[in-house]
Amino acid sequence: MIRDYAARSREIIRDEPGVREAVTGATIAFDEKRRKGYAEVDADAWRRWAEGVKNHTLTHLDHYLTEAEARLRANGAQVHWAADAAEAREIVIGLATRRAVASVVKGKSMVTEEIDLNPALEEAGIEVIETDLGEYVLQLLEEPPSHILGPALHKSLRQVQDLFAERLNTAPDGDPDTLARAAREVLRNAFIDADMGITGANFLVAETGTVALIENEGNIRLTTSLPRVHVAVVGIEKLLPRMTDLAGFLQLTARAATGQPIGCFVSLIQGPAAEPGDDGPEEVHVVLVDNGRTDVLAHEHAWEALRCVRCGACLNACPVYRQTGGHAYGHVYSGPIGSVLDPGLLGLHDAMPLPFASSLCGACEDACPVRIPIPELLLEWRREAQDEGLTPWKERAALAGLASVATQPGLYRLAGRIGSRLGARGAARALPMLGEWARDRALPKPSPRTFRQLWREGIE
Amino acid sequence: MSAGGESSRERILGRVARAAASRGRLSHPGALATPAAADPVSGFVKCFTSSGGEVVQADRGRPANEWLTGFLQALEPGVVGVAVGPEVPAGLRPRLPDVAAAHAGAGISVAWGAVSESGSLILPSTGTRAVQLLPPVHVVWVPEGRVFARMEDALRELLHGLPAAVGLHSGPSKSADIGRTVVTGVHGPGRCMVVFI
Amino acid sequence: MKVAFFVTCLADHYFADAAADAVRLLHHLGCEVGFPPDQTCCGQPAYNAGRTREALRMAEHTLDVLAGTDAVVLPSGSCATMVKKFYPRLAGESGNRVSRATALAERTWDLAEFIVRRLGVTRLGDGLAGRRVAVHQGCHALRELRLETEPTTLLEGAGAEVVPWEAQEECCGFGGLFSVKMTAVSAAMADRKLETLPDVDWVVSGDGGCVLHLDGRSRARGDAIEFVHLATALWRGVN
Repeated sequence: MIRDYAARSREIIRDEPGVREAVTGATIAFDEKRRKGYAEVDADAWRRWAEGVKNHTLTHLDHYLTEAEARLRANGAQVHWAADAAEAREIVIGLATRRAVASVVKGKSMVTEEIDLNPALEEAGIEVIETDLGEYVLQLLEEPPSHILGPALHKSLRQVQDLFAERLNTAPDGDPDTLARAAREVLRNAFIDADMGITGANFLVAETGTVALIENEGNIRLTTSLPRVHVAVVGIEKLLPRMTDLAGFLQLTARAATGQPIGCFVSLIQGPAAEPGDDGPEEVHVVLVDNGRTDVLAHEHAWEALRCVRCGACLNACPVYRQTGGHAYGHVYSGPIGSVLDPGLLGLHDAMPLPFASSLCGACEDACPVRIPIPELLLEWRREAQDEGLTPWKERAALAGLASVATQPGLYRLAGRIGSRLGARGAARALPMLGEWARDRALPKPSPRTFRQLWREGIE
Repeated sequence: MSAGGESSRERILGRVARAAASRGRLSHPGALATPAAADPVSGFVKCFTSSGGEVVQADRGRPANEWLTGFLQALEPGVVGVAVGPEVPAGLRPRLPDVAAAHAGAGISVAWGAVSESGSLILPSTGTRAVQLLPPVHVVWVPEGRVFARMEDALRELLHGLPAAVGLHSGPSKSADIGRTVVTGVHGPGRCMVVFI
Repeated sequence: MKVAFFVTCLADHYFADAAADAVRLLHHLGCEVGFPPDQTCCGQPAYNAGRTREALRMAEHTLDVLAGTDAVVLPSGSCATMVKKFYPRLAGESGNRVSRATALAERTWDLAEFIVRRLGVTRLGDGLAGRRVAVHQGCHALRELRLETEPTTLLEGAGAEVVPWEAQEECCGFGGLFSVKMTAVSAAMADRKLETLPDVDWVVSGDGGCVLHLDGRSRARGDAIEFVHLATALWRGVN
């Protein structure tokens, strides 16, 4: 897989200026809400606690996975294990086929994007309908999500108005309320007709086998309630030890994501409808997915990224992400967390140059509810990329040259004198990297006399 | 379960155990101490209403079911048919025709409890999911003594009789996915109303 | 107080006058300033690129050059962060290098940090009276050294009016190697800063790298914005 983040980001910025505008506006608004949400509680203490719970869980993950499995089975749910994306798809399609499923409704889920579930279901002749409003918009447009939380936040109102006018016969200047009502009507019928509901999970509680899902629209509650089969596709890192741990995580995740005290709806699902008269699903299946996570877990440093609760706070805080949205990154997990997670999930070679798609400004780490040291992890991946020779040789040569010059003061002073004599253009010719600099900026002007010269002459 | 599934299970658990063994097992930090409101009910009202939920005062001079009947009829648009959860006792059921949840003007539930710090209603969902989700208005009776200060306290008590599914509702259904404008009633109820009993 | 001035390679060659102003400011505040002549680059370009070996070589050179100094002051929040935060990380787990790196980290200061936190000075003069300035906070100074208020405090203490800037705490997009590897995104980040800039006389920053990048982008756009290094602004404030 070849990723050209630099070229793709340039194209988005140049050819789709509306994306930068929409993403910047939306993420700044989210980030502002997150700050307010944190300020209302002792956020530092909450975040340290959450980091501790996740670290405990990840270092006891074998124990908690086994416990969750046993609990779910006791609750009447069925548990499946998928080593990779292909196996996860096979499991879900097998379930759908066995239960003669014609139509599936889905709640927004990153892991089902990760395993490319929708195209596989469609290929098997099963109709798939995304029910999150943003995901529904993107499904109509045949685009992948651009953001963990607001999948369509890169789209303007105008674009949705045009889309719905064409597809749902709404008025060309319909307001968001009208557009949402039109989607609701279509989707309400889909919920009632669907045979299977597919979701991800925000958390899986080992103690009780609880699949916990957070949302604001109610589509996930409907997806997990109305169809006769519910399938939750769950990454193995989603475990939490106890129900009481959920109390902190439900609230912290919501505050990090949108600044809300909690999502408008939380579903806690232990298993299928237990008694006659219960209007819930007859079957509940939990598909536990590895797909590279055990590689990340084994990595000396990157395992910390598995604490991620997919709140999107780091994307919202990131000035790099804001310029392009998620599509520039080329994988379902974008932004700062994507740049540290993708090299672990896909292999560093396939994820290049994402660890370099950051100015290391540190805003992500300050926002992260589980205190993932994202800048430090980016640096770790950069070190590995350098060690494995995955960076351009010119860059490596230039930095080796800098180190040689900088450890020989005489040579360093000579280079400095030559540099100031060459002036801006001459320096640009001598330093190939300045050519890239000059694509979008005027060249820097060297001081006519270096500080060293000024110092020798005496500073009054 | 297929043989392939079984081997994936062993493979995943084996790899997880090896990774855990390589870095030492870290301990659990214990409970998160969040502050407990002195007056959980007023804390709940503040949080729930700031999330767009509504708290309605029943006329205590009248029988509850009579009051609710009048209240629902006076809503705009007036409620004609209702969907009522099986947990709602006779004295709390409005005197309006029962209809399927998909066609009801309002759903009526009784909450198992509520949480002050997050402004949440705790609604066991067995047999009553459609009532809680499909009508445009959801009216929830909440026993005043069942408002927990903290989510952790509520979940700990819930553990003693955990049903197959529980919903936490903390306001009306909403979305800002289109044009960053908040719209309510996207999929679930557009109005969520609490009446204390 | 004796101060060893670590000019940084960037300021040596691109902000020589500002670096001289930093020295004048330190003299004015009663410091005896020395300049260890064999100093070169702190190694941050290599560190941020993931070239640990080269970064370590440069860090060791700097540790040698600055051995035996008292306080070390840099006119750059980013390079100060390299010495204060990243040298100890580079030095490893134990051994002589760790203790040397830790000791150097403890006596190293960014210029504004040194004036406010070490010298306890917040009032410099009235030289900037009537001047409207916006502050660009370098990310390392802001989020590693947590110098959230120091530059503003000093500018106001020199008479300037510091005008609130919506994007004040946002990264300008420099990021060293990032600015030449991901040029389009880097430039768009600068645009966000420039597009939100309030009406001011100067944009002031304590980090030369950010200024080179913002100034380069603003000149390419045809803006007429005057960028001033914090050291120069503060020295003007004294007079």
